[in-house]
Amino acid sequence: MSDQPIIELKNIDVIFKEPEREVRAVDDVQLSINKGDIFGIVGYSGAGKSTLVRVINLLQRPTNQAAVVKVNGADLLKLNAKELRTKRRKIGMIFQHFNLMNALTIADNVDFALKKSGLSKVERQQRVAELLELVGLADKSHDYPSQLSGGQKQRVGIARALANRPDILISDEATSALDPKTTASILGLLADLNRKLGLTIVLITHEMDAVKQICNRVAVMDAGKVIEEGDLLQVFSQPRAELTKDFIDTTTHIQSSLAVVEQQAIVQNLQPGEVLVQLGYVGAATDQPLITTLYKQFNVSANILFGNLEILQDTPVGQLLVVLSGTPKETQQALRFMQENDVQVTVLKSGDKGGN
Amino acid sequence: MLNFLNQVMPNVVENWSGDTGMVTGIWQTLYMTFWTTLIGGLIGLALGVALVIYDEQGIMANKAVYSILDKFVNVFRSIPFIILLSVVFPITQFIVGTTIGPKGALVPLIIGTAPFYARQVQNTLVQIDPGVIESAEALGYGPWTIITKVYLREGLPDLIRTSVLTIISIIGLTAMAGAVGAGGLGYIAVSKGYQRYQNDITIVATLLILVIVFIIQGLGDLWAKKIDHR
Repeated sequence: MSDQPIIELKNIDVIFKEPEREVRAVDDVQLSINKGDIFGIVGYSGAGKSTLVRVINLLQRPTNQAAVVKVNGADLLKLNAKELRTKRRKIGMIFQHFNLMNALTIADNVDFALKKSGLSKVERQQRVAELLELVGLADKSHDYPSQLSGGQKQRVGIARALANRPDILISDEATSALDPKTTASILGLLADLNRKLGLTIVLITHEMDAVKQICNRVAVMDAGKVIEEGDLLQVFSQPRAELTKDFIDTTTHIQSSLAVVEQQAIVQNLQPGEVLVQLGYVGAATDQPLITTLYKQFNVSANILFGNLEILQDTPVGQLLVVLSGTPKETQQALRFMQENDVQVTVLKSGDKGGN
Repeated sequence: MLNFLNQVMPNVVENWSGDTGMVTGIWQTLYMTFWTTLIGGLIGLALGVALVIYDEQGIMANKAVYSILDKFVNVFRSIPFIILLSVVFPITQFIVGTTIGPKGALVPLIIGTAPFYARQVQNTLVQIDPGVIESAEALGYGPWTIITKVYLREGLPDLIRTSVLTIISIIGLTAMAGAVGAGGLGYIAVSKGYQRYQNDITIVATLLILVIVFIIQGLGDLWAKKIDHR
């Protein structure tokens, strides 16, 4: 992962004119994706994700004059049709419904991508065999797509997308039609390709789980706009937008558990000196025996009601719903201590009269 | 054997060979069907592909071109064939130099077939998954490759099926053309059989048409099934 942008989108608008109204599918988006990134774009359907990624290879042209689409330094909007086609071969793309040709065998589907590669017939055969080996389908080369499972079809799609040794792979909801186990194996394959080939991957999805598993950067889209963007860890541990929080909660379940936690007797009847807090911590903060320290140093006991721990890019990210109890003064000291030690503390409910 | 045939269908035996005989009729029907299929088919295919790629959702979307092609096809499809047969005489005379016989029937047959086949081709090709077309565009292919390697390849099984349908309808049209002077089995069935009360000729000519239809249908189905991997 270097800091050199391989994809730069500036001032991107895509407006679809319909007889009755205008639809702003993409609304003034700026996006910069670095070489080697696995960049996740999340959003609900209709948020404009698919339209936005199609701008990268100009399957969808921006509708405004000020737009700039730079891939590998080349300004794609300034190219003629033939030059653009050459560039497109260096941008692989995989799709939700795989989009394989039913009339062709698996090998021929992959070979289809090599028609303009300039390779000889023998070289093409070798390349196809190599690619099918890479995606683990060497034994299926003479089968037809209808004989394969969804996961296998997507592997063929990946082999085809990689045929011309692209620098970038765009994944348009590539795992959305697959079951969880197959999804995990396809995501594993993508992460593998990212490491082995240095492939930059742009992954759009409505599943935060997929992003969590392999992305290092993430952007959240809503109504055509990018409403939040950053490193996965940062966005995950300190989301700003409500929508981002919703998405994160689809995998951590913290917010949805809160309602249940609040019904519990201990939370309903908080005494003075008792507080319900949400603790969030990333990486190093988890190494310290936090709960023990609270008890030893401040005489404050912690009752854990709900917890979620994620390992994101080998870094633990934790969220806890905890009732702390001590004297009001001790509890305040404990809260301050945690804040000073990079734990995010949100007091959700306090037993003190008049709040804290 | 010949005696038996002579008893059952005396007129057929008598009119088997010769300039206006059954054998000539078969050849004339096959001649008209073949050339109409070939030339009308190619024109229809080109028109059908054009309708798909210039469509609003097509790879070369162009409203004006589409609209012109669409209206052209509609107009020529709407003219009843029997009227077309006589109306295009001047054009026929100009192109093939005669307005009678199988050759004279070719021009109206082709004009009658091409727009019909164009619609069939269009209806077949628009059913191809747009995602497959998009993936070919993403692989950096232009319209020509997409037409020849994706549309026509992916649509081939259904194209064969609609072609069979079109060929059978062409055979029907040749019979109609036959009734107004083009020759062929249709002419024999109507002019030599029906109008002269030689029922055996009508029946045999009809059966021969059926045999041709069944053979084409059977071969087409077999071929389509063999290459269909959906």
